[in-house]
Amino acid sequence: MDNRSKFGKWVVALLAIAAMVVALVNLFIDNMPKGEVQKVRDYVPWEKETIELIESIPLQDGGRIKPFSTYAGFRMLSLHGARSMKVEGKGGEVFKIKPTAWLMDTVFRPWLAVQLPTFRIDNSKVLEAISVKQKGRRDRYSYSEIVSGRNKLIELAQSYEGIEKKKRDPVHQQTIDLAYNMRSYEALLGYFAFARTGLTLTGTAAPGASDQKVSFSTVMSTAAPLRSELNRMMRQEGEVEPRLQDLLQQILDGANMSKYGLFMIPPYDKTKEEWSSAGDVIMKVMTEDTEDAQAIISDISLMEGKVLGSFQSDKDFRKAITTFKDEMNQRAESRGEMGLVSLEVTYFKRDFFLNALVFFLIGSLLTLAMWALGNSAISKSIYWTIGGTTMVGAFLCVIAIVMRSIIMQRSPVGNLYDTIIFIGTTSVMLALLVEWMTRKRFALGLSPIIGAALILLARRYEMGDAGDHLDPLVAVLDSNYWLTTHVITITLGYSAGLLSAVLSCAYVLMRGLNLDGDDKEMLRSLTKAVYGCICLTVFLSLVGTVLGGIWANDSWGRFWGWDPKENGALMIVLWTLAILHARLGGIIKDWGLHLCSIFTSCIVAFSWWHVNFLGVGLHNYGFTAGKSTIWVFYGVMSFFILTGIMMMWLEKEFAKQKQQRILIEASRAKS
Amino acid sequence: METEPSLYTPKARKSFLGKSYDFMAGFHLATVLLLVLLLLTWLATLEQIDQGLHYTLNKYFSWKSPYIIPTINGKIVPVLLPGGYYICALLLVNMILGGVVRIRKTPRQIGNLISHFGIIFMLIAGGVAHHFEIRGNMAIGEGEMSDVAEDYTEYVIEVAEVINGERETFHVIRGEFLSDLKKGKNRTFDFEGIPFSLVIGGYSKNVVPVSIGDRAPKKGELVTDGFYLFENEPEKEAERNIAGAYGKYVLENGEISDPIIITAASFHPHTIKVGERLFTVDMRKRLWPMPFQVKLDKFTADFHPGTSRPAEFISDIRRLENGQESTVRIEMNEPMRYEGLTFFQASYGPEGAKPGEKMFSIFEIVRNPADKWPEYSLYTVAVGMLITFLTKLFGHLSAAARKRNQHG
Repeated sequence: MDNRSKFGKWVVALLAIAAMVVALVNLFIDNMPKGEVQKVRDYVPWEKETIELIESIPLQDGGRIKPFSTYAGFRMLSLHGARSMKVEGKGGEVFKIKPTAWLMDTVFRPWLAVQLPTFRIDNSKVLEAISVKQKGRRDRYSYSEIVSGRNKLIELAQSYEGIEKKKRDPVHQQTIDLAYNMRSYEALLGYFAFARTGLTLTGTAAPGASDQKVSFSTVMSTAAPLRSELNRMMRQEGEVEPRLQDLLQQILDGANMSKYGLFMIPPYDKTKEEWSSAGDVIMKVMTEDTEDAQAIISDISLMEGKVLGSFQSDKDFRKAITTFKDEMNQRAESRGEMGLVSLEVTYFKRDFFLNALVFFLIGSLLTLAMWALGNSAISKSIYWTIGGTTMVGAFLCVIAIVMRSIIMQRSPVGNLYDTIIFIGTTSVMLALLVEWMTRKRFALGLSPIIGAALILLARRYEMGDAGDHLDPLVAVLDSNYWLTTHVITITLGYSAGLLSAVLSCAYVLMRGLNLDGDDKEMLRSLTKAVYGCICLTVFLSLVGTVLGGIWANDSWGRFWGWDPKENGALMIVLWTLAILHARLGGIIKDWGLHLCSIFTSCIVAFSWWHVNFLGVGLHNYGFTAGKSTIWVFYGVMSFFILTGIMMMWLEKEFAKQKQQRILIEASRAKS
Repeated sequence: METEPSLYTPKARKSFLGKSYDFMAGFHLATVLLLVLLLLTWLATLEQIDQGLHYTLNKYFSWKSPYIIPTINGKIVPVLLPGGYYICALLLVNMILGGVVRIRKTPRQIGNLISHFGIIFMLIAGGVAHHFEIRGNMAIGEGEMSDVAEDYTEYVIEVAEVINGERETFHVIRGEFLSDLKKGKNRTFDFEGIPFSLVIGGYSKNVVPVSIGDRAPKKGELVTDGFYLFENEPEKEAERNIAGAYGKYVLENGEISDPIIITAASFHPHTIKVGERLFTVDMRKRLWPMPFQVKLDKFTADFHPGTSRPAEFISDIRRLENGQESTVRIEMNEPMRYEGLTFFQASYGPEGAKPGEKMFSIFEIVRNPADKWPEYSLYTVAVGMLITFLTKLFGHLSAAARKRNQHG
């Protein structure tokens, strides 16, 4: 017979359903384009074969060599706030555009790209200030829709930059961000302008005809005689002949437009590390006597071919791209820089974390079913299915983390994004371990929920930050030994601390709402599991903190610098040690242990996440993504603590009343 | 589930000393101390945002702070808390009594005993560093040589005699004798072989000398020679403060000079001629002589290609001592440890230097007798905790297996 409280079951079911809805809505928001589907009349999608060809072209960005697709993904994320958009194209058909295709449109078909809803505007007041027609309060706009306010936007952004960052309001900051985004987008739009428009030789027209057009590469091949002619004119005549002046201005404009976009030309000089943009090399050949001039002209010629090819057909375009790509790949390979590009393409294409999330969500749904069905035979088979889906999800996460480590050539945890996915994965694995040790179904049921929640958090963070989390670390952090020892230990400590809190939340619900069905062994197991997790947290946090101190002693000459991140780690150690001593001294019992354990999560969240917002210290990453989430988290945990306190009080009251009744009955019986 | 004990073993009544011992060695005290330390750490973390690190650390964890009234977001929190230094000291006593002396010496407790030893050692290391650590920095250009480090925050007054155009025979007044000389408090300093005494007062930790022509004094500041010291708010980064004070010379014949301004903001030291002898009086950050010379041969700053993200900072130096020369490379995470001193790669300049431009490197120099102690204590704590937790884990697993077997 199921002795569990029906009311309790309903409460938990409602809470679980609410959490599930939040998770699914989040997932939906993350993956679905926002706003109305924009109409781009002549839009036709790129052929799959073409996209696959381009996605693995290497380029340099953020201090490393990465594939075109990765660059496109993060550019799109930073401008558009998502990795996909939908448009209604030719023939009224709706197309989904993903990052590589979006960037291809931007650089190869700018006349179409300017109509794509590229810019995410979170507050329409930004557009109101620059006199641009607004849609909803939050919406997406194309470049064409906002370009009329460009000058005013730049002017406003410059004035807002004069305000101290702390004192800027969200509209100020969003105006500045939009101005930067527009400029960086323009750098991409104009990147191949030199190849599309070429150069006009003024005054070469026959009567009735237009002036002669030549390509940049053609003019570049005459750079040396042009320079000497220019010098001669300056020396002898003191001025430059107007037609030559016009040509030079066109070269300068063309080079400037392609100077900041894509750094996709590897240097010929093997001692140099910096790759060049088309604009860089055009200016180099035009202004310097360089021994690589012929090779560079050939590179520019290939790029012109690539663009000219795009005007013909996809097939011609692919042909031009293949020639260019083969040349660049060969050069990059000879420099030893191509090794991990294809692995990175696969990493992003497979989207392991999204797949893991699907498994975790299935596991979470099955968990609800398992808990609802009690100890029935179906429930037992669901138990194994949950185990299977969760393990598959965890396995996918492990594959992704390993791939990331190989790509980054460092230990898996080095930035905040790394910590989220690592904590997510290790918490799930730790929960599975607890389940293996206790076999009480609660840890297994919680594991996919933890996994899903942390992957959703990782996605939210990635979207808010929009920076490439695979980029290399700064010098002081770039130590595989310390990243492996200190950072991983500390991060595992966070995992253990968070898991103990989640288990304690389950305890509060189970005991408070009488869901244990009088199975005292169940609550005892939970308490033991939580106690074990707290012990693990103490061990990992203490060792991790001291390892961090030893690292700091080697890097900065002090064991302890009272940096907020260090203090946060110390707070976890002090809190968990206090719990253990309070437990040993009999100050807290089961209820106390679990309520303290829930509070551990607040301290972990402060140390892991909140200190980054304080704006001081060496671990200050200066980001704002997830600032509101942290308060929601504190709120939820406080809710559990207060609920627990209330339940504990009620339980004691009921016990007191029961004892009184027994005493009264006993005295009646006596009399 | 928790159960209230129904039977209590009557305990023998204890003496006051016995009760005190129980209290000092008890879990209750340990728990409270850990919680107070946690609270102090949290408050210090928040307070350093507004007040800066140096000020906050002195406020919360110096032996000079027996109690604390926290301030958050510039507002005073009306709570009186004990100072962190004394909490740590009490924790140390509690741990020695409870975690080492009183703990049961059984095989089950061996892990805990080792862990407590490790943490005691760590706290002692912290105390030793707190009292005996010295730190400073050395900025040195490529091709240049140096044998002194400069303190980060301590300002001193240097009195020197000029002989043959060079300043010689330095006399130094340490910062601890200056920092309490606020308005209305003076102190007279005599120096061996120097024909005058120096009276110092009106010390401020962060000042700027201002001409009365530029800005009239508003708080009744002492004006001398058309200038006065305008007191600025202390900087959040304490090393950016520029100290200053007023002084007077008292000659051997009892003659007293007009007040002078002595500040680190001055470009040149103050000079005084007594008879044929010339002296300088200057305020500066304390210099700390090294037992060897350091010559910077080359500094390399590498960035990740195409970015301003630092990839590597390397200083190739030569260490010169007693005519011997050694080549050493100092880089991030790879300091030079030698004769009790540790040289760390801290910074460099000039920022954005062009190729070929002469660069300088800045080393942080630390003398800490407890330099490696935390590392040793870590090994001790880790071993102890591992023994404890593994013992408990295996105990739990074998009990669970026994139970399953019984049921099976």
